[in-house]
Amino acid sequence: MKRNLFVLLSMLLIATVVLAACGGGAPATEEPAPTEEPATEAPAPTEAPATEAPATEPAADFEGRSLMAADCDSAGIIQGVEATGQYEVTFTLCQPDPAFLPKIAFSVYSIYPEEWLETTAGDEGRTSEGLERPVGTGPYVLSEWNRGESITFTANPNYWGDAPEAETLVFRWSTESAARLLELQSGTVDGIDNVGPTEFEVVSGDSNLSLNERPALNVFYLAMTNTFAPFDNQAVRQAIAKGIDRQRLVDTFYPPGSEVASHFTPCAIPNGCAGDPWYEFDVEAARAELAEAGYPDGFSTKIFYRDVVRSYLPQVSNVAQDIQAQLRENLNIEAEIVVMESGAFIEESSAGRLDGFYLLGWNADFPHPTNFLDYHFGAANPQFGDQSPTYSDVLAEAAQIADPAEAEPLYVEANNAIREYVPMIPIAHGGSATAYRADVTNQQASPLGNESFAIMDPGGRDVFVWMQGAEPISLFCADETDGESLRACEQVTEALYTYEINGTAVVPALAEVCEPNETLDVWVCTLRQNVTFHDGTTFDANDVVATFTMGLDASSPLHKGNTNVFEYYDYLWGLINKPAQ
Amino acid sequence: MVQYLLRRLLSSIPVLFGILIVTFIIARVIPGDPCRAILGEKATAEICERFVHEHGLDRPIHEQLFIYMGEILRGDFGESIRYSMPVTRLLIERLPTTVELSFAALLVSLIVGIPLGVISAVRHNSWIDVVTMVWANLGVSMPVFWLGLMLAYVFSLLLKDTPFWLPPSGRVSAGIPAAPFYDVWNLNVPESGLLLAFYQFVGRLNILNAILTSNWELLKDAIVHLILPALALGTIPMAIVARMARSAMLDVLGQDYIRTARAKGLRQRVVIMKHAFRNALLPLVTVIGLSLGGLLGGAVLTETIFGLSGVGRTLYEAITARDYGIVQAFTVVIAVFFVVLNLLVDLSYSYLDPRIRLE
Amino acid sequence: MINTEKKVKALDAEALSLNSVSLWQITWRRLFRRRSAVVGIVILGILVLIALTADLIAPYDYDDVLIGKEPVKARQAPCIHMLGCPQDQPQHIAGIDGNVRDEFSRLIYGSRLSLMVGFSTVSFAIVIGAVLGALAGYSGGWVDNSIMRFMDVLLAFPSLLLAIAIVTVLGPGLINALLAIGIVSIPAYARVVRASVLSVREMEFVSATRALGGDTMQVLFRRILPNALTPLIVQGTLGIASAILDAAALSFLGLGAQPPLPEWGSMLGAERNQVFTAPHLVFLPGFMIALTVLSFNLLGDGLRDALDPRLAHIS
Repeated sequence: MKRNLFVLLSMLLIATVVLAACGGGAPATEEPAPTEEPATEAPAPTEAPATEAPATEPAADFEGRSLMAADCDSAGIIQGVEATGQYEVTFTLCQPDPAFLPKIAFSVYSIYPEEWLETTAGDEGRTSEGLERPVGTGPYVLSEWNRGESITFTANPNYWGDAPEAETLVFRWSTESAARLLELQSGTVDGIDNVGPTEFEVVSGDSNLSLNERPALNVFYLAMTNTFAPFDNQAVRQAIAKGIDRQRLVDTFYPPGSEVASHFTPCAIPNGCAGDPWYEFDVEAARAELAEAGYPDGFSTKIFYRDVVRSYLPQVSNVAQDIQAQLRENLNIEAEIVVMESGAFIEESSAGRLDGFYLLGWNADFPHPTNFLDYHFGAANPQFGDQSPTYSDVLAEAAQIADPAEAEPLYVEANNAIREYVPMIPIAHGGSATAYRADVTNQQASPLGNESFAIMDPGGRDVFVWMQGAEPISLFCADETDGESLRACEQVTEALYTYEINGTAVVPALAEVCEPNETLDVWVCTLRQNVTFHDGTTFDANDVVATFTMGLDASSPLHKGNTNVFEYYDYLWGLINKPAQ
Repeated sequence: MVQYLLRRLLSSIPVLFGILIVTFIIARVIPGDPCRAILGEKATAEICERFVHEHGLDRPIHEQLFIYMGEILRGDFGESIRYSMPVTRLLIERLPTTVELSFAALLVSLIVGIPLGVISAVRHNSWIDVVTMVWANLGVSMPVFWLGLMLAYVFSLLLKDTPFWLPPSGRVSAGIPAAPFYDVWNLNVPESGLLLAFYQFVGRLNILNAILTSNWELLKDAIVHLILPALALGTIPMAIVARMARSAMLDVLGQDYIRTARAKGLRQRVVIMKHAFRNALLPLVTVIGLSLGGLLGGAVLTETIFGLSGVGRTLYEAITARDYGIVQAFTVVIAVFFVVLNLLVDLSYSYLDPRIRLE
Repeated sequence: MINTEKKVKALDAEALSLNSVSLWQITWRRLFRRRSAVVGIVILGILVLIALTADLIAPYDYDDVLIGKEPVKARQAPCIHMLGCPQDQPQHIAGIDGNVRDEFSRLIYGSRLSLMVGFSTVSFAIVIGAVLGALAGYSGGWVDNSIMRFMDVLLAFPSLLLAIAIVTVLGPGLINALLAIGIVSIPAYARVVRASVLSVREMEFVSATRALGGDTMQVLFRRILPNALTPLIVQGTLGIASAILDAAALSFLGLGAQPPLPEWGSMLGAERNQVFTAPHLVFLPGFMIALTVLSFNLLGDGLRDALDPRLAHIS
């Protein structure tokens, strides 16, 4: 028996070696070239001009970094970022940007130490050190990421602000809202994100827990692509807009704190509710208008959606089914439900290829109407078919104005035109909530999802345990997009500005102040002094420039991340020196 | 024996190649590209184009297949698109969860299933037999996900504030120290390579690691977390094992040699344990081997319900996110595990029954 | 190793088929002597009856939204007048679902879907599996080899995972889920049929038919396939049970039946986060799945034992 085993083992060994030899030998000849090269080598030639641009007036013993695109053709909104002093950074823009401060406060643009950015830039992406152990200036220092289980943070002893209340902060996650609530009820966690829509009552009825409603900075809409019949008929779209009982949807499927959408943009955003409110529900009028438009017996179509829970649509399939039932009852429209895979759904809907209704929504990135309206109703967006210049031109004009009061008449005009044209039907602003054990102080439910745990005291306990919906993908948030990753990063890193606790107004963080010139296309930021990073280095203007070079300059060797796409840098600012393709 | 093994190994090579190709094809014909699944819904068409190019997904399919096969043969499983890390690392992270869960479930099914089956065969047609069989039939008929939810409902909610409360999700409670054994023992850990992978793998098997480091707090906590998922996942195999053990024992107990043994005046216990049970093991091993395979499918559901990030759940998420790297590597590993499992089951025949020769 | 097991069964079947006239009577008699099989038949009978008369039994349509028609709220607990629910409230013995529909009616209509799922996937798998298995067994050589190796490849994946992958490729939906489960269960039937074909191929009556100049295809369908029937029936009955479970699992994950179809797995999956707040919406569909699967398991076991002469002395 034993000898057999020995023979067997050696046979296996030989077989492995043979396999490895055959496999390793043959493909190796034609293989290495295609896998590695193109991604890293392509941008190299354009590198020189970007980083060598002249630095203006460096301080005596301070050599300032600078990033400057050759011209605005090879840049987006930001043309350049320069260290104009050890604690002064100048942003040069290619066009005025009234939303500069709300955007710069977004945690994706958090500042990393220059040296760390250089050492963690790998060949093809950021090194695992860079992706998993971020170094910042924040109140907490990352101590351990036990993948699949939890992330542990410890208090930063040298934090420039108030020392964190709890010595240790732990992040856990569960996709099931029921499981999160149960953990909270059991006392194994101190706070949870996104209480399930049906569980609000359970939390508010439990004296050991407290519920914090999160203002609804989002919108859920029912879209129709107007390049397909019968949605090409404005009268049909208007009839449908009146024929759907949106109040019933909100009452039945949305948690407390949600509201029926009077406008596409939530009212909490300045100028969000400019113009007339949306149509009232009126079955008789809707039927009459639909008949007049040539569809007295309704028609048949489809309802597309993806089965993904968002705060704007907490009960996706229930809402889809009720819309289906309402269309049938109120307007005699037979709509077949089609559930699509999320990626394919976004691809098809954003290209305007879905020939029916579809259910989609939007979460605010930053609190400004441009983030809602310009993205959806700009002339170039095909997701609803053809856009009407009656609003898209007006929106483009409004986007150039910094003063909300001055912009208001334009937003009134645009919103009324949208109401008239009905590219989609805004239905709800979905409320959501966090819940904490009752003894936690300073409880938060941030409208933008960036709760700051440093100022919460978990009833005197040493450890604060937070449970959210998912595990962060990486902790290098310059190149991440999901809220679950960003929230974890925000405890460790800080941006020049930040949003006030539980609000959307911006307050200075690593910058003491950022001020624009008159034409809003140059912003000068004065930085906070005596701030140290977790690795002991001192924060100064070069760290800011290095960070933006890393994010914005596609040709820089620092431009390495998780996906290397730097979506938010690209989407809100536009990259510099994008490879031509 | 050696010849048989060689032949079996050789004949599994085309199967393994088939597996490689099938996983590759399945991964690539899944509609939708990974871009929006990974970058989120706000990614523009232009950003997606860049993303696809960065990851070489715009190359001709046959070229990608070639690269993939070459990498696999050199033992390189490639990278996860979503996590930007080698899939091997993900495997080391996720496999221990599933291994622990499957072993716990298997343990439950054997410890409960075999005695139940044997007893109900010995006491054929008694009330124990009837109850066992009713229970076993119910057990194989229950959907895993339903059982899991119901267990969580009873033990995590109804029994809250009693000593029988069990946690509804996760592997360990937050704040329980879980230093890996190699740190506790001050071992020289290599920077990379197989040994490191092995150390990390063992270090993440919470229960084993807790025993190795005498960390009783962690041991208790890990076991408490494991009970519900193991019960949910182990019930079906438990029922199958009980039924199989019963029918195999019934079969054996009816044989002449058992009558002879009894006639010799051997005690009942000796007859059952030594003569009958050993012979009944053969079909049992087959069933255990098969249900180990089935456990992996059930693990997808169990891990989803109990919030465990094991192989099953990771694979399911990777399929929905079109993370080709994970889908390919994980399915290949699982399939190879299946092939090896089948081989082991066959080998165990000749060990259990010397009359069977593997030729 | 599955092979050996199947082969044994196939041999039994062949032994039995020699006097197949009385076989069915014997089988029925044996089947009805087994208590568990009778329980299975009774449960199944009731389920079939419910499915056939769903329109009559169900108080509401499965997609009848009660908002504005009755004073009920989404996910309201069951209200049964006999058990003390106030008379002025409308009776809903299984409560209200997340879309304010009568859960009881949906459960009733769901029986149609589950039975349909079970029968159609298994018939699909049997037909394809039988053709492939017969072809492999009858032709032998490279045809046999390549078919069976491909079956090995399919068997090398956990069936649920493979089904998930196939549905992801085809896109979610009831029909695609059925197809996926059907494909995944083909190898089991192919093996059964191949084994019985192999065992019968060399028997005298087959060679005789061939020698008499009979068409090979005809031999295959007239003489060989009937011999594989017994193991197929057993395997098929048990297969229906696992097909229903797998389909429910796919629907639970959102890959199978789509709303508003009242498929039990998807009803359960859609409400799984409400397990602590509205447990009836999770418990009842799961219970129905378990009951249906149980009935097929009991019947399948009963059939296997009844068709197996070796077990005669036990029962």
